[in-house]
Amino acid sequence: MMSQRTAILFVLPALALYVAFVGIPILQVAAYSLFSWDNGSVTGFAGLANFARLIDDSVFWTALGHNGIWVLLTLAFPLLIGLLLASILAECSPRTIRVLGAIYFLPRTIPLVVAGIIWGWIYNPTFGLANWALDMVGLGALGGAWLAESSTALYALNVVGAWTFFGFCVLIYLAAIQAIDPSLYEAAQLDGASWIKRFRFVTVPLLKPTTLFLGLYAAIEAMRFFDLVWATTQGGPGYDTEVLTTHIYKTFFLVGDFGYAAALSVVLLAIVLTVSGVSYRLLRSA
Amino acid sequence: MNATATLNAATPARNAGRHLSFGAYPPGRLVRHLVLVLFALYALAPVYLVLLASVRSEADLFSGPLSLPWPIDLSNYARTWNESGFAHYFVNSLVISASSTVLVLLTAPLAGYAFAKLDLPRKELLFGLFLAGLVVPAPSVIVALYGNLQKLGLLDTRLGVILPQAALLLPFSVFMMRTVMQDVPKELIEAAVVDGASPLAVYFRVVLPVVRPGLMSLALIAFLFSWQEYLLPLVVIQADDLKPLTVGAATLQGRYGVDYGGIAAAGTIAFGPLVLLFLVMQRSFVRGLTAGAVK
Repeated sequence: MMSQRTAILFVLPALALYVAFVGIPILQVAAYSLFSWDNGSVTGFAGLANFARLIDDSVFWTALGHNGIWVLLTLAFPLLIGLLLASILAECSPRTIRVLGAIYFLPRTIPLVVAGIIWGWIYNPTFGLANWALDMVGLGALGGAWLAESSTALYALNVVGAWTFFGFCVLIYLAAIQAIDPSLYEAAQLDGASWIKRFRFVTVPLLKPTTLFLGLYAAIEAMRFFDLVWATTQGGPGYDTEVLTTHIYKTFFLVGDFGYAAALSVVLLAIVLTVSGVSYRLLRSA
Repeated sequence: MNATATLNAATPARNAGRHLSFGAYPPGRLVRHLVLVLFALYALAPVYLVLLASVRSEADLFSGPLSLPWPIDLSNYARTWNESGFAHYFVNSLVISASSTVLVLLTAPLAGYAFAKLDLPRKELLFGLFLAGLVVPAPSVIVALYGNLQKLGLLDTRLGVILPQAALLLPFSVFMMRTVMQDVPKELIEAAVVDGASPLAVYFRVVLPVVRPGLMSLALIAFLFSWQEYLLPLVVIQADDLKPLTVGAATLQGRYGVDYGGIAAAGTIAFGPLVLLFLVMQRSFVRGLTAGAVK
């Protein structure tokens, strides 16, 4: 009994802080979404009316689509590159691993806002490095205003997102590869398996749990990222880079529609919790 | 997967491959190493570009983005630091990040210890509550958080950023600390209890010294994430002299759209301390970041 009280007291400070600034606000947001608001005060019970508005809100569906594209791109690019680089790196000397590991991870230490500013320059149509490099190799015709054109803006931003994320994938995969039983590689080598075969038949299958974990991590990040878009395009041009979080931010701070912003937040939370719940089951069984 | 696997342990199997190739440089390996170099350039080029731009004088502005700036010109830093308010922003980032980190260090290890080693009622439920918080997006709580902070009189204060910041870091921190605390030998704790030490004394004198590397990793990561945070201070703080670097840098970009040297210096001030911290404490960082990937 005594020890139980001690345990509760030990958890209490963290729990109090967490409940006060995360737990209660979540419940409030859920409650807010059921009312109609005007200028920051409740005007009446709205039932599910705020949620019904989602159906006709084309910006919401556009934003959701962009989050979906972002999830797919993140799964396709940084994860795959991370796996490839980690498998190559694992064969190098400890020194090389240390140095290159640090280099790949370096962009992750840069705040996303600053990353957005830096890459905004690289993409600048008149003096940016992207068009300059294309010019140098004779492909100047392919250049453009990367972040200002609707056909390229979202993908150009994703290159920035990948830039800050692939090093993390390398480190996680590397830790997992180093935990693989070396005798498996020795056996494959004795059988004369080439590097690609060893990669395909030893590394990839054994890293399935890691891939699932990183996939979940990437998907959650792709649903909730905000800084990068807000610091560069603010959802533009038009709604071409709008995502759920920027839609919430605008609905709340620029439009002042608390009820609808809350409904959007509930949808975002529901998606994220469902995705992670399902993935958690998958991870457990993997 | 091993949470504590470090970067510097090459496995013998892979080194064995080296002997089989008899010192030759087969084309397959060459291609693989080129891939490594290519992505190193992808990682470094933007950083290099900003560093160059930050020490480039105005007269030297048009000699191409990759040409070495000469003479090295530090006036961009002086101007950004003194006139554009970055001295303030820097101090604010430091105060906010350090305070959030201290709050996390005061609360998360205690909770992690209780989850790992103590007889806590409703353990599963409580831990699940923290676990769910791992995925909660900050933008989805902001709608209610903003009003709450207003009522508490915490809008436009640094404390109004610090408290929610620490709270948002807690799920990851508690999760990580539980993992770390699980490795503390049971005998060590029992021996101290038999000696008549109170629970708090056991925690401070026996447990904390053992998990010091874990605490170090937690501190670094909490500091990194707090320093990088943008949305929370953007929403909470309006007064210019209370803004942290992230908000300051974004504002500067909008204000002087053509002062490239100044913005480059501002960006460098905003990420420089983090990059240095990471390079010096790489091992601690990696241990902390891979801790989340335990099976």
